[in-house]
Amino acid sequence: MIADRSAIVATGLGVRRGGRWLLRPSDLGVTGGVAGLAGQPGTGKTTLLATFATLRRPTTGALEILGHDTGNSAGLRAIRARIGYLPARFAWAPQMTAGEFVAYAAYYKGMRSGAARAALHRADLTDAAGTQLAHLPPEVRLRAGLAATCVHEPDIVLLDEPLSRLAAGRPGDDTAAADLVPLIRSLAPVVLVTGTAPAALDVWCDRVFTLTRGRLSDAPGAATPPFGSPLPPRRSLRRSLAGPFARAARFAGTGV
Amino acid sequence: MSELGRALRQDARRAALIIAVPLLAVTGCLAGWPSLVPGVGYWDNSVVALLDATRVMAPLAAGLAAWAGVRERRLDFLHDLTARSPATAALLDLLLLAVAALTAYALVALALAAETLSRQDAGAPAPLGLLPGAAALVLHVVAGYLTGRVVPRAPTPLAVAAVALPWALLRPAGTGLWSLLPPAAYDRVDLFSTLRPAVLAAQTLWSLGLTAALVLGYTAWLDRRRALVAPLALALAASAAAAVGLAGARPVQPAPAALICRDWPLTVCVHPALRAALPAVTASATPLAARLTGTPAAFTRVEQGPVRRPAGVRAGVAVVHLDDDLSPGHGERAARQIIAGLVSHYPCPSARTAQYRALVDSWLLGTAAPALDDPATARRFGAWPEETRRAWLRGHYTSYERCALGARTFRHTPHDAA
Repeated sequence: MIADRSAIVATGLGVRRGGRWLLRPSDLGVTGGVAGLAGQPGTGKTTLLATFATLRRPTTGALEILGHDTGNSAGLRAIRARIGYLPARFAWAPQMTAGEFVAYAAYYKGMRSGAARAALHRADLTDAAGTQLAHLPPEVRLRAGLAATCVHEPDIVLLDEPLSRLAAGRPGDDTAAADLVPLIRSLAPVVLVTGTAPAALDVWCDRVFTLTRGRLSDAPGAATPPFGSPLPPRRSLRRSLAGPFARAARFAGTGV
Repeated sequence: MSELGRALRQDARRAALIIAVPLLAVTGCLAGWPSLVPGVGYWDNSVVALLDATRVMAPLAAGLAAWAGVRERRLDFLHDLTARSPATAALLDLLLLAVAALTAYALVALALAAETLSRQDAGAPAPLGLLPGAAALVLHVVAGYLTGRVVPRAPTPLAVAAVALPWALLRPAGTGLWSLLPPAAYDRVDLFSTLRPAVLAAQTLWSLGLTAALVLGYTAWLDRRRALVAPLALALAASAAAAVGLAGARPVQPAPAALICRDWPLTVCVHPALRAALPAVTASATPLAARLTGTPAAFTRVEQGPVRRPAGVRAGVAVVHLDDDLSPGHGERAARQIIAGLVSHYPCPSARTAQYRALVDSWLLGTAAPALDDPATARRFGAWPEETRRAWLRGHYTSYERCALGARTFRHTPHDAA
């Protein structure tokens, strides 16, 4: 059964927005590892990710995350305590320091200030903790976002185009992005990231899917999942992203 | 500092409360100050001034709260994915915004109270008068903020203010539900009236009920909690009951006051807050009383009355109205009110008869005689000694009252007739 092994189980899940299907009703299972979801701008990656983050309700179908039904309040609260979500252009207050930002997130995640300090340490932000976010370079600001998102050590992390701000062609962007990949991979047992180009995700994701015209499919030339085979389809589409649901090593230390 | 304290501090910095509080306070003072017309510092009018301030502060507070709501929506990725209730962030924001609005409101109330205390005050400070404005302000903050959360678009704050402004400013003062729903406009309260406590209480309850309903409804929607439906229904019922209480209600009621009097040479009584008017009213009313002696309009007592009691003479008592700013000439204006009250039922049929009445009026008031089309009559009347004029008036009072005076009326003095 998908529910036995999958962190995210969707049954007949359909997401519709603006009069068109972003995801046609499908069955879907996401297990462990790092999965990439690629698609051109406007195909609905962000909306789909927000749906997995429980910030949007699906148009149709049922969505079960970490064994809890998103359709009831008790399940929703249990899920939200165990997932982290970082939008592509995540908001922050300019006058907040990185440390304040992570501590602020810790309050809402129900964590003590010690957890915030630990998250800053894991993200190698101890030295930058007292600097205002507005004064930090993009890759360090992203680290702060990741630390805030994962201050409660979630089981699932959903990142919307995390490296997009490091793709502006500035000197050092490539190096910074490469430094961030190990950190992202270690955030949680299940990491789901989005990106525009399948090839860019394919380099560092265990498996990459593309979203085109409301349908999910394996990206051409995608790597074979290292953690087992996809589960067989149950209805129109069933996908298993990566293998055993085991907690990954957290926040491999990386330099800023 | 506690975890909650740190979070609140961050929220307060983001919500720019350090700007919002002085902005609201200054706006409130500017809006409320004109309602404090010169004159007696009547506490009920200070409440009216505070409510007038609220009518401007509330739409502004709603717009600011909507702006905060729109901005906070961007942090939903932190606020909503929480082990706490997803309504926690919204409730903390509402707490901060409400405290900021109430702080500004308190500053305005203090400024108005200080101004009232700096003058001859009347009535008594009523704590209940503070509540309708405060509750209306909080209601606007909550409604504005939640609108910003639900419709997180850039124009939302302006749209909220654009809806709240006409609601607060364009409804006229008066009776009935439409006029009394907060923030309501009030007319100035005269010294012999007071704001009706039941109306103030109903306005407060209406605002608090709606505020509670909005907060509970939003929390129930976010939390998907059915347990909140019952208190939500209770809040709506309380608000509806308050609205029923406001329908047809009158915002003010009579407030009898023990007058303060001067007994010589004439008994003149005024509201204690206007005791400074006693010398001027006495000086103007005494010769008038002497000249009307022996006529049906004779009076031996002058009383300041409420606006609802017409000026004039009844049963030997002359009723006058006084402006509470006691501007120069208030004594003479009181005497004119007495005379106007005597003849108000009988308008003059022609300009000529009006001139004859004006001739008598000028004598009664001790002012210069007006120019008449009939100068001979004016000269004749002006030549009579005081006692002759008084005797003439006693004989022709009915003609004077009914504006039936003519040249022939002035040809014969009472002495001639005798």
